[in-house]
Amino acid sequence: MTSLRIFFIGGLMSYRAMFGWLNPWILVPSLIVSPICQILLFAYIGRSAGVGNDEFYVIGNALNYAAIPCLFAMGATIGGEREGHTLGIVLVTPARRIPLFLGRALPVIANGWGVAMVGVLAGVLLLDVHVPSGSWPAILLVVVVTSASCTGLGLAMGAVALRVRESAVLGNVLFCVLLVFCGVNVALDDLPGWMATVGSWLPLTHGIAAARLLADDSSLGDVTGLVTREIGVGAIYTVLGLALLRFFEGESRRRASLDRT
Amino acid sequence: MTLAVEATELRRTFRTTTGTVRRTRKDVEAVKGISFHIEQGELFGLLGPNGAGKTTTIKMLITLLLPTSGSARVLGHDVVADTREVRRRIGYVFGGDRGLYERLSARDNLRYFSELYGVPPRTQATRIDELLELVGLTERDRERVEGYSRGMRQRLHIARGLLHDPDVLFLDEPSIGIDPVGARELRATIGNLVEMGKTVLLTTHYMFEADELCDRIAVIREGEIVAEGTPAQLKGRVSGGRVVEVETYGVLEETVAEVGTVAGIRSVAVEERGQQQVLIIQCERDAEVTQAVLARLGDVRVGRVTAREPTLEDAYVELVTGS
Repeated sequence: MTSLRIFFIGGLMSYRAMFGWLNPWILVPSLIVSPICQILLFAYIGRSAGVGNDEFYVIGNALNYAAIPCLFAMGATIGGEREGHTLGIVLVTPARRIPLFLGRALPVIANGWGVAMVGVLAGVLLLDVHVPSGSWPAILLVVVVTSASCTGLGLAMGAVALRVRESAVLGNVLFCVLLVFCGVNVALDDLPGWMATVGSWLPLTHGIAAARLLADDSSLGDVTGLVTREIGVGAIYTVLGLALLRFFEGESRRRASLDRT
Repeated sequence: MTLAVEATELRRTFRTTTGTVRRTRKDVEAVKGISFHIEQGELFGLLGPNGAGKTTTIKMLITLLLPTSGSARVLGHDVVADTREVRRRIGYVFGGDRGLYERLSARDNLRYFSELYGVPPRTQATRIDELLELVGLTERDRERVEGYSRGMRQRLHIARGLLHDPDVLFLDEPSIGIDPVGARELRATIGNLVEMGKTVLLTTHYMFEADELCDRIAVIREGEIVAEGTPAQLKGRVSGGRVVEVETYGVLEETVAEVGTVAGIRSVAVEERGQQQVLIIQCERDAEVTQAVLARLGDVRVGRVTAREPTLEDAYVELVTGS
């Protein structure tokens, strides 16, 4: 019961507390305006270069932008606590670490999902992209899965905040890696083999591919393999994140790393 | 009866590195094998200057740091092997205005930590109400913490530390930066905790606070305990002497050192009071040092010269300056 409450209620309150480092009046517009700008930028680059189509760029960039809350909000729930000197107090509590940190992922997944869907809807409205009405439920589901797998990577990144203060910088690097390697604006088939291989081990890649197929009128059954692989990749990063959290918490006790810059 | 806290030969070494390409490593011994114990229901003070090892000691006792060697137990539970059991039974409060979720209200801060400490949902609201009442924040419980004064934040810290009704409370400089009225209220709250049967380990720089509250005190200097006893026993260490205070303006360190060489003087400390530097001179009871001190001061402008009985602060200064 206690662990369940920590997972659901504690996770939600921790997410609210995250606004301690960022004003919601800045955060919310940035999560709406920025993805739309990125979508428009690449869609018009594609149009002027005569490559791809609007739907390709809308789906790719909308899902890519889900990585912003998934990476940064997860990093902030741990790194922000370190800055606010609450991390030590949290770690002194007897709360079990898995519900404590996984619970923080739940609102972040919803946030990532919301950002991606705003991007897709903006593409439909502004660029006249057509998505078959029957595909929407499956797209909603695939975006949830993609946000969740991306949050797994965010958890691993957040764990690093137990060791170093610069987790936000790492977030920028990872966002860039996802943008280039996950087939966001250049199809995986057009990337060099090694880049495509790296991309297949990153979150987003299979989710974006599945969402594009669904937008092209494929059924959920047609993309089951891709969705399963997206879940698998997300699970790997989540387990890695939890292992890193355990390791770095131990390190913080051994090396007093919470007190260091 | 099981001891509330028992530290045996507790030691903690930190490794620091400097440089990026040529990294130089250096080991710093923050706590050098200290031993002490605290009985249940006792209020124990750990006094010492900045960097003496007080916070490091507390962090080892609350399971945030592993000792390099030695052992510590809280209510019979080892701080290394039984961390969860220790964490269930302790509360930790530190000074300063950080360590709270700024954009959450006081009530939500307490609700969050209630969840982390596993306070049963049925009793949670009542417990939070009681604690807000205890620390005098009931009227402003739904306001965001970012608008709180330092004193209010400190009282909220105390409430947070008490949420799960811990048996042992670690208060690390809780009154730092609080105004005199707030500090008095805080001392009253700490006094109440002991009346409620809690064990408290308190670190503070304020001697009158330690004198008023503590049953026993350990003075820590450069990672070692240099004295331990009741406030009266510690005062007794300098009670055979006398304190002379000399107000000066612009005295140099070398001159202070020269004053310290006068026969009959045990130690000299300098306290900055606005533009004045007040020399606090501990000397033998029968020693007549005033003329010799004034002679050593030479051209330094001197204000009032007074003599008084030693206080706990004098004992502390003598202990931490190692004279």
